[in-house]
Amino acid sequence: MTTTQSELSRRDLIKGMGCGVAALMLSSAMVAHPELAHASDGEESDSAWGILIDLTRCTGCQSCALACKETNDRPNPNQTPIGLDTDAYSFVEEKQIENSVGQTESVYVKHQCMNCLHPACVSACTVGALRKTPEGPVVYDADKCIGCRYCQYACPFGVPAYEWENPLGLIHKCQMCADRLAEGESPACVAACPNGALRFGNRKQLLAQAHAQITSNPGRYVDKVYGEYEVGGTSVLYLSPVPFSFLGFPELGDEPNPRYAEAVMKQTPAIALTVASVVTALHLFMQRRQQVNGEATVHITSQKPGDEL
Amino acid sequence: MTVHAPSLRQEWQIGPFRKGDIIAGLLGFLVLIGLAAGVGRLFAGMGATTSLTDAYPWGIWIGFDFALIAFSGVGFTIAAVVHILHLHQFQPLLRPSILAGLFGYVAVLMLLLLDLGRPDRFYNFLLFYNMHSPLFEICWCVLLYTTVLVLEVSPDLLANLPWKWPLRLVYRLMTPVTIIGITLSTLHQSTLGTLYLNMPHRLHPLWYTPILPVLFYISSILAGLSLGIIAYKIAMAVRGQKENPAIAIGLGKGIVAVALLYLLIRVGEVIYAGELPLLLTWTPLNRLWLGEILFCSLIPIVLWATPSLRRQPWVHWVAPLSALLGVGMNRFNATLAAQSAPTSAFYSPSLLEWFSTLGIVAAGMLLWYLAVRFVMGSAVKLGYEQH
Repeated sequence: MTTTQSELSRRDLIKGMGCGVAALMLSSAMVAHPELAHASDGEESDSAWGILIDLTRCTGCQSCALACKETNDRPNPNQTPIGLDTDAYSFVEEKQIENSVGQTESVYVKHQCMNCLHPACVSACTVGALRKTPEGPVVYDADKCIGCRYCQYACPFGVPAYEWENPLGLIHKCQMCADRLAEGESPACVAACPNGALRFGNRKQLLAQAHAQITSNPGRYVDKVYGEYEVGGTSVLYLSPVPFSFLGFPELGDEPNPRYAEAVMKQTPAIALTVASVVTALHLFMQRRQQVNGEATVHITSQKPGDEL
Repeated sequence: MTVHAPSLRQEWQIGPFRKGDIIAGLLGFLVLIGLAAGVGRLFAGMGATTSLTDAYPWGIWIGFDFALIAFSGVGFTIAAVVHILHLHQFQPLLRPSILAGLFGYVAVLMLLLLDLGRPDRFYNFLLFYNMHSPLFEICWCVLLYTTVLVLEVSPDLLANLPWKWPLRLVYRLMTPVTIIGITLSTLHQSTLGTLYLNMPHRLHPLWYTPILPVLFYISSILAGLSLGIIAYKIAMAVRGQKENPAIAIGLGKGIVAVALLYLLIRVGEVIYAGELPLLLTWTPLNRLWLGEILFCSLIPIVLWATPSLRRQPWVHWVAPLSALLGVGMNRFNATLAAQSAPTSAFYSPSLLEWFSTLGIVAAGMLLWYLAVRFVMGSAVKLGYEQH
């Protein structure tokens, strides 16, 4: 079979166009659907809820942690939890702090999901089982979850817990009582607190109240609301009598953690198109150069038997 | 057809019993142990069978996944060298390399199945999309690219079919399929680095950098080219054929360029980020970082760039193995050693994790051995290809 130069180049052109179309299809399949627009793309809604935790008012009575267990239908509802796990979505930790006159005193710190404004777990989740709702809670759809546990790595607060003992394990975490919020109630922990240490309300108003409290009670609080800016802000906010680092709160920057990964992921279609185009062009160029140089072009459809490999 | 049909032994060129068959038998033994371990994990759950905890949710399964995907970059790098750059002197590397890529990804898929909390729902990434998730993109790319690899190795199987139209169809599609394969590999090899960008709070600053995707991509090319040489050498030994040392030397020169680029970016980033003081103390993590640099870049560069050294037969084993060790270390460090857990937790893999991992890696190697020995090159032997 003889092939003229023009036939060859026409075939190459068709090949190249085919590759281009394939690359286009590939990348368009990867373009984000608008309905999947991510929480960290938008601004915080003015109506989003928040929880303000005033550590100076907490007596460590554990009412909130037990109410949390009950409302989330966790086992052993009367047993005080000592950490975040699949049995307890919140717990109260006792921290011994040395005060200014050298005495130790206890500060009780309630832990639960911070329900971040730009949650890294939501950004990381392979199948979109985690979602930030406009109302504030970061909710989890157990039916979608494949148990990859990337959310556990992404969370800067170490919150999501995995069912290690279950052969078909799932993730557990506080969802800010999204179900109760939908029915016009406050989260179970807030409703259970007898000391006014937990306050539920509009996040922006809570922040304003927190700063007013700091100003009007000199010496009672450190001048910081934890969660106002951390990793882009969280729905749960803390007021503390001592610096947050004393209490083991992680020192995180103000930028949302998913910012780099999301910036790269958004470029996926562009990267795919660029690579496919460059590789196609390189293929055609190198093939052409070999033809011009008169080297034998390898055509794998040839009929002659050849070497072993 | 003629009366003298060749016996099965002649047709497939099965030689006499070889040393490789003993190794294959040992691999088969590891596969059986791994199979038992894997079944144990699936039925008993990860709590009872692994050392994984909420503080260390990923262990050696993920470490091997990441290392194996980088090594399996051999498929797209050698395909690019031969089909895109049209450097046909490297054609003999192509078949062993594509097969190594394919069975590398097969091993990765098996490991992932063990690692998923819900292996029964592994297909959920086809139904539910999260475009922001690096893992979502990796799942899709690995699925599609494994399909590409199957198409790339298929001629040697299709050549034995009585109908020739599937073979002709695959040949016609080969160029676009190769280009799509390179594109998919570029995406997910780099996205494995993107995955760690969500963990600035956990990953040590010597490893964490916004350009992780670039570093992961370049190191996968480094590992891929290096494994290409190893795969070629072993394949030649398995087939009882003489290898051509010029092939390894030629590819080694390319490896120098890639390793130099990697070295410059890796060290340059540390200097640019002002992290050089971190290297002045002699800590275990610093030693691991320096070890990566030594094995990934320095040793391969010196061995391949020195003319008197690169002609030595031992260099053709040591230089690629050093690069693979370095890239493998990098993936394990990013997954485990350089990760700080939120609590002072500790992870030491369980025996079952080791057995299942070794079994799966052995399964990949055994399948590669069998394919190289019995299937590879049928399309050439039957006269559908020439070189």
